[in-house]
Amino acid sequence: MNLEIKLQIQAWLDGELPEAEALRVAALVKRDAASKSLAAELETMRAALTGNEPEMKLPETRDFYWSKIRREIERLESSGSAPLATTGGWMHAWRRWLMPLTGTAMVAVVAVGLAWLVTPQGQGGDIFLAEIENLSEDVGSYSFRAPAQNMLVVWVYDKAPLPAVDSDLPAETTLQ
Amino acid sequence: MNKRKTNPVEPVKLPQEIGTCSDEQLVRAAQKGGMEAFEELVGRHRDKIYARAFSMMRNEDDAVDLSQEAWVKGWQRLVQFQGDSSFVTWMTRIVINLCLDQLRKHKRQRAESIEEMAEESGGVERQMPAVTINPTAGLERSELRARIDRALGQLSYEHRTVLILHEFEDLEYKEIAKRMACSIGTVMSRLFYARRKMANLMASYKREELNS
Repeated sequence: MNLEIKLQIQAWLDGELPEAEALRVAALVKRDAASKSLAAELETMRAALTGNEPEMKLPETRDFYWSKIRREIERLESSGSAPLATTGGWMHAWRRWLMPLTGTAMVAVVAVGLAWLVTPQGQGGDIFLAEIENLSEDVGSYSFRAPAQNMLVVWVYDKAPLPAVDSDLPAETTLQ
Repeated sequence: MNKRKTNPVEPVKLPQEIGTCSDEQLVRAAQKGGMEAFEELVGRHRDKIYARAFSMMRNEDDAVDLSQEAWVKGWQRLVQFQGDSSFVTWMTRIVINLCLDQLRKHKRQRAESIEEMAEESGGVERQMPAVTINPTAGLERSELRARIDRALGQLSYEHRTVLILHEFEDLEYKEIAKRMACSIGTVMSRLFYARRKMANLMASYKREELNS
């Protein structure tokens, strides 16, 4: 049995396969002894682990533990770096919308200027600029120019990362 | 600026005695700056958050430090908590992320041994016999947990982490891949080798028990 089949059996047990695939693997497990034995081993392990996480007690008293947390929070607050979570505020919401807009406006101004340069009215039919310079940290842009068609296309996008799957995840999560 | 500070002068009022408040009520009070409410949350869930850190780090000092750091981050980011999950799940995710970051730093610092590389690619698994007995049969729950803990301690951090995220945190392959910054295929193979190794370790403990 190759690794791919083994992993499919595992995925079937974990409910990660689409229905058609799951039916195919279920049939394999039913007719093939080695597959059946592997499925049994994996299932035993899964069942043993589920709900049996080892329990641990914090090796410090509640008061001592809390005092260290509190001290650190107060230290950070006094240094002005503590409350990173300000998403609820109107300032944050305003900035969230305003920043991309300013970036877009900046790119648009450059694009219009460039379009003027490459048009015959601008007397710049043969002038080519390699790239549109985008100085915004929040907005990125790609440009495509077709001199024959006298056309300039600027694609503007928000550089902000996509929202995390779980909106409750802290901002420093390393999602990719 | 919308800075949420601790509120030592005017304590945030709770609808009832602090010990009888639900987590949701405490979270709401803490979001308004109620340090006392946050302290109660720490008191209630400190063991769980510490346990998660310990299960990943396998080191008491690291687990204490990282769990504390998680609580500080939890306080800082509490206004982001929308209640889509329970508070303790949210806190657990924070401590997991901190542990993953820490483990990645450790990983970069140490050279990977040939043994580890072989384990990662399944070299060891190929030599492991299929476990035909049920290594958990007849065990008391506390005994089973102790053996699971012992076996987890013998896994590589990649294998242990993927098991913890899948079996204890109930995350899907896709979600684990995101958190561990690897492909779904890697998650599947790590999980597979981790389970096979766990099965063999548990079987060896069973044999030890029968021989003693």
